[in-house]
Amino acid sequence: MSQTTRTEPTGRTVLETSGVTKNFGGLVAVDDVDVEVAEGEIVGLIGPNGAGKSTLFNCITGALDPTDGRVELRGEDVTDWSEDRVARNGMVRMFQHTHIYDEMTVYRNMLVSAHEDRGLVANLSPPSDAAREQADELLEYVGLAGLKDVKAGRMSFGQQKLLEFGMALMAEPDVLLMDEPAGGINPSMLNKLIEYIRSANTEREVTIFLIEHNMDFVMEVADRIYVLAHGEKIAEGPPEAIQNDDRVLDAYLGRE
Amino acid sequence: MSGESSVVDRYRARLDRALNAFSERAMGFGDRYGWHLIGVSALVGAALPVVGLQEGFYMSLVSEMFLFAVLALSWDLIGGQTGYPSFGQMAFFGIGAYTTAILFKDFSGVFPSAVAGDPLLLLLATLIAAGLLATVAAGLIGMVVLRLRGGYFAIATLGILLAIQQVTRNLEITGGASGKILFEGPTGTQFYYLFLGLLVAEVVVVYYLSNTRFGYVLNAIRDDEEKAVAMGVNTAYYKTAAWMIAALFTGLVGGTWSLFNTFVNPMTAYNGAWNVELIAMALLGGSGTVLGPVLGGFGLHFAVVQIDALFSGWQLVVLGSVVIGTVILFPQGIVGAIEERASAMEYYRHGGQAAEESSDGTDQPVADGGTDDTTGGANE
Repeated sequence: MSQTTRTEPTGRTVLETSGVTKNFGGLVAVDDVDVEVAEGEIVGLIGPNGAGKSTLFNCITGALDPTDGRVELRGEDVTDWSEDRVARNGMVRMFQHTHIYDEMTVYRNMLVSAHEDRGLVANLSPPSDAAREQADELLEYVGLAGLKDVKAGRMSFGQQKLLEFGMALMAEPDVLLMDEPAGGINPSMLNKLIEYIRSANTEREVTIFLIEHNMDFVMEVADRIYVLAHGEKIAEGPPEAIQNDDRVLDAYLGRE
Repeated sequence: MSGESSVVDRYRARLDRALNAFSERAMGFGDRYGWHLIGVSALVGAALPVVGLQEGFYMSLVSEMFLFAVLALSWDLIGGQTGYPSFGQMAFFGIGAYTTAILFKDFSGVFPSAVAGDPLLLLLATLIAAGLLATVAAGLIGMVVLRLRGGYFAIATLGILLAIQQVTRNLEITGGASGKILFEGPTGTQFYYLFLGLLVAEVVVVYYLSNTRFGYVLNAIRDDEEKAVAMGVNTAYYKTAAWMIAALFTGLVGGTWSLFNTFVNPMTAYNGAWNVELIAMALLGGSGTVLGPVLGGFGLHFAVVQIDALFSGWQLVVLGSVVIGTVILFPQGIVGAIEERASAMEYYRHGGQAAEESSDGTDQPVADGGTDDTTGGANE
């Protein structure tokens, strides 16, 4: 039962880390972690507070440079890439705390995130019709269409979360990294969020890698789960296996 | 609702509704007729000398109002639109001012005689150099200071202003601390049109950019730079570009100013007090907008000159009070406050409450027309 089981990846590997390690001075925040996320999967990353989950995310997205190890996006080594370059190449992350552009209207929040409008000419032009259509469609999808001319900072927390999700989809990522999407969300909205994540995954073909503390949520939504504790990967497998893994229980309950 | 308070309340509610209606209409008008407004204003500006504005005090005053509007709008492009409040904007003003002063006075021989013989043509030729130099200097300085944020950025830019001022004071070519006296410049009317032309050009550029993805990205950097990076924006590139555009116009207006002023020295060309003044103009008018800094530049400079005429020496005290009052009462400035009101209306009209509920779990669509009535009633 304590054995780590592994589901077969459903497709090509999109994101892979090998031996990623991050030291802060003497502290080893992430220790030799291998993670593999295949196209079309929803993969969870769990672990007690301070396990190094967010640090691993930061190493993957380029916000931090790993001390050691490699990060590959669709087989390409992106370890030394800057954060914005990684994002432009299809790996977008959402933050633990909601980040939106609060003085801009909802619509502009969406338009500025558009994958469509990149390059010098597009930059010096008003947003393209394609981007506008996409923004309209996505705002409809997340249920904010009526608020498109409102300053984003005026909206409620829940609305801002939905906007941020819409912005991420606007960037048409291959992989979306979500840092605690269910954090601070009330129980009735949780189910809605699960639907959003699933439909993004199936209908928009976004591969999703998410950190989550809410166990019910992550067990429900993830195909596969990685468990970190003290910076090390201690288990990986489908939700059922993880729920019964001794080392995971130890890590969560504090048994040695 | 009883007694005298209900009368006050009723008037307040009425005023509120009037302001709301005005704000919405003004924003709608601005969105629809922005280019028309710019065109008509430019024509009115161009017509003033034709219909009777004569060279002298008032023409100089209006020219200076154009000058300050250019400075405020330049500052706002980087300070208001991009969120990098520079206290060193005047560095580029001084670089522009000295470039034209030196070329005009000491190097007019390098230009063809047809150009060198005509003060206006000579000034225009030297302005090209002034704009170029200011922009290049901004590129180099920007690479260093634009890595800093908030207060650190402000202090670093102030340091650069002071350093460049000191260097200018110590150099031979700039005339040291005593500066340069510059007669034989263009006429007052020519200056008037130069400043007007610069202002119109800058308004056109900034207004155009504010409706492009470039402009959106600048606002995104202001609101949340970390997020912008995570969304794939190479923010250094955008910040530096905005900073250089701001420096270009600041350098051009500085280059025009030195001859307009007939005198340039380190104290006046790298004027720290002006730097504060132009920030106050942008804030008062409404930073992050196009119209705001222009109105702020016009209004505040006009007020400063009038106060100087009536109570000489008190204009800086008044200026300081205006800054404090603005920041406390109108943190978004005049145009910003109007924008904010229109946005609030939009939120409640489209049922902010209903949307909130639906995002919290219920399945109903967000924007039903049905919420109109409830918000209308809330004012009663």
